[in-house]
Amino acid sequence: MNSAQFEIQVIASLVAIACAIPGTFLVLRKMAMISDAISHSILPGIVVGFFITQDLNSPWLILLAAFTGVITVALVERIQKTGLVKEDTAIGLVFPALFSIGVIMIAKNANDVHLDVDAVLLGELAFAPFDRLSVGGTDIGPKSLWVIGTILTITIGLLIAFFKELKVSTFDPGLSASLGFSPLIIHYGLMTVSSVTTVGAFDAVGAILVVALMIAPAACAYLLTTDLKKMLGLAVFFGVFSAISGYWVAHWLDASIAGSITTMLGVVFLLIYLFAPSKGLIAVMYRDKQQRIEVSLLTFLLHLKNHSEERERHVNHLNEHINWQKVKSETVLDLALKNNMIVIKKKIVSLTEKGDEFTSQAIDYIITNEDAQIEDMKDDFFLFRG
Amino acid sequence: MKNILVILLFTLIFSCKNDKNDNGNLNIVTTTTLITDLVTHIGGDRLNIQGLMGTGVDPHLYKASEGDVTKLVNADLIFYGGLHLEGKLVEVFEKMQSQNLQTIAVSDALDPKTLIGSAYFASNYDPHIWFDVNNWELITAFVVKKLSEADPENSTFFEENGNTYLDQLKALDAEIRATISTLPKEKRILVTAHDAFNYFGQAYGFEVVGLQGLSTATEAGVMDVQNLANFIIDKKIKAIFVESSVPKRTIEALQAAVNSKNYNVEIGGTLFSDALGNAGTPQGTYIGMFKHNVNTIVNALK
Repeated sequence: MNSAQFEIQVIASLVAIACAIPGTFLVLRKMAMISDAISHSILPGIVVGFFITQDLNSPWLILLAAFTGVITVALVERIQKTGLVKEDTAIGLVFPALFSIGVIMIAKNANDVHLDVDAVLLGELAFAPFDRLSVGGTDIGPKSLWVIGTILTITIGLLIAFFKELKVSTFDPGLSASLGFSPLIIHYGLMTVSSVTTVGAFDAVGAILVVALMIAPAACAYLLTTDLKKMLGLAVFFGVFSAISGYWVAHWLDASIAGSITTMLGVVFLLIYLFAPSKGLIAVMYRDKQQRIEVSLLTFLLHLKNHSEERERHVNHLNEHINWQKVKSETVLDLALKNNMIVIKKKIVSLTEKGDEFTSQAIDYIITNEDAQIEDMKDDFFLFRG
Repeated sequence: MKNILVILLFTLIFSCKNDKNDNGNLNIVTTTTLITDLVTHIGGDRLNIQGLMGTGVDPHLYKASEGDVTKLVNADLIFYGGLHLEGKLVEVFEKMQSQNLQTIAVSDALDPKTLIGSAYFASNYDPHIWFDVNNWELITAFVVKKLSEADPENSTFFEENGNTYLDQLKALDAEIRATISTLPKEKRILVTAHDAFNYFGQAYGFEVVGLQGLSTATEAGVMDVQNLANFIIDKKIKAIFVESSVPKRTIEALQAAVNSKNYNVEIGGTLFSDALGNAGTPQGTYIGMFKHNVNTIVNALK
C-alpha cells in the first residue's frame, strides 16, 4: 500500500466520523434528508462566488457554498414553523428552489464557462491525496485531511460542550425550553455544523457518499441501541468500518471508491436490519411467533380454569373447545407442560398449582386492564418461552 | 474504539505491497483517449502508457477508480488537457507539480492569444483545442520536447516518431480541406449538442452552433431549442449531429422542434467530440476520428 492509498483511508475515516456525529442527531430528529438538500442547494452560493471572484479556484466559492447551506436550513426552519407543512415537505420545497436559482444564473450569465458544483468541489476521493497543502515549501499533507480534520475537531468540541443540551432538545424540546436553553439555538447550531460538514466532506468525498455517511451509520446504530452515547459510538464505528472495508472492495474490484463505500454502508445496514437483536426483522418475526403461542397458551389455561368437567379437558377434544387458529395444539400443550403449568392424567388435562396461580394473576390483570403487566409476569413464571 | 481503528489501519498498511512496474521504461499517465493516442504515437513501446479515461467517457463527468490512484502515484509524467477540460482534476494536476510529480497540460503548447475565450469571463477558455489540426501539430512537437527532456536516452526515437506523426497530421489537414472544399460555402453550418467544435469552425470555415453551453452539465433552455429550430429552417440546414459523449436526447428534441414546423432535418450521424471511439476501430485514433467526423459532416450536409 502506498502513502496515497493510506491517506485516502484516513480521509475517508475522518469524513465518516465527522458525518456520523451530526448524522446521529439528524436521524433522531427525523431531518436526515437535510444533508441531501444542502448538497444541492449550495449551487447558487458557488455561482455567486464565481461572479464575484471570476475564479473557479477561489476559496470564497466554498465559503459561500457553506453559507447557502445555512440559508437552506434557515428557510426550512421558517417554512416548518408556520405549521402548514412538515419538515420533509419544507426541505423538499427549499432545495429545488435554491438549486434552480443556481441553474438559471448559470444559463443566463455563464453559459460558456465550465461552472457546476463538480468544477469547484473536487468530490473525488481518489484524487484527495494529490490536492495538497504546503507551508513555506514544505508539504503538510492533503488539503481534505486538514479541512475535514478541522471540521471534526470543532464538531467534537461542540458535541462535548453541548451534549446535555443536544440530548434534551432532541428528545424533549419543551423540557429544554423550560430548562432555559433555547431549542432553536441548538437546532441552528446543529444545522450549521451539518451544513459545514456537508460542504467540507463534499469536497473530499463527493455528494452521494456524504449523504450516505450521514444517514446509514446513524440508522444502523438506531436499530441497535436506545442510549444516545452508545448510538454515537456505534454510528462512528459503522462509518469507519464501511469506509475502510469499502476502500478495499474498491481496490479488489478496481472500482469507484465512493461507490464501494456507499455499497458497504448498504450491506452493513441490510445485515443489521435483518439480524439486530431486538429491532431486526428476524428478531421481530421470532417475537411475533412467540407472542402468538403465548397468547394461545394463556387462552388455554383460562379455559382449563373455567371448566371442571372432564369432557372439556380431554386432550383429543381440545381443538373443539378452544379456538386454535394459528398455533398447533401440540406446541401449546408442550409449552404448558415444560413450564409445569399443567399435568396430563389419563388424557385429561388439569392445571398444576403454579398454572393455577399464573392464570389467577393473569385474570386479575386483564380485569383491571393492565395487560402490559402480563409480560413481566411471564418472566417470573416461564422457564421456557414460546 | 479508537484503538481498534489504529490497529485496523496499521494491519492494512503492512498487509499490502507496492506493485511497481520495473522494465526501465518511464510510466506515463494520460487523461483523455485523445492524449493517450498522441503519446502512444510518439512513445511507442519505449514508454508504459496508461490512460485514465476510457472510450466514450465525458472528461467532465469522469469518475476515478481505485486503480487510478496507484497509476498516478507511480507516474513519472502525467499529460492532461488543461483549460478545465478535466474539471476540478486540472487544479489537482497543477498542484501536483509542487510534489515532485511532473504534470504537463498539453494546452500549454498553444499561445493563449490563439485560444477561443469565454464571451463573459476572460480567463476561461474553450478546451476543445484538438479540432484544429494545426493545434495538434503544435502539441505533438511540445509532447516530443517534454518526453525527450524526461527521457534523454530515447530522445532521437521520440523525435523520429514525432516527425512521422507530424507528416501524417499535415496530410490529414490537406485531406480535410480537400473534403470540405466539395461542400458549398453557404452549407458549411454545423449544429451539434454542445459547443465542442468552435476551433473546427474557426480553422475550416464553418459556422458552429451548439445547443448546450460549453459544459455538458448544463441543459438546453426552451428558447435555445426554439431559436435554433428557426435558425435551421432559415438557413435550410439539412442535418444536425449527435456526439458520442453527450446523450442523444437533446438533439432529438431539437429535431422534433424543427419537424413540428414542417421542415425536415436529419440527424447526420455521431461525431466524436471529447473522446475517441473504441480502440481497434478507425475512430479509435485521432486521425481516424477526424476523418470520420469530417466525412460524416460533409456527406450529411451536401
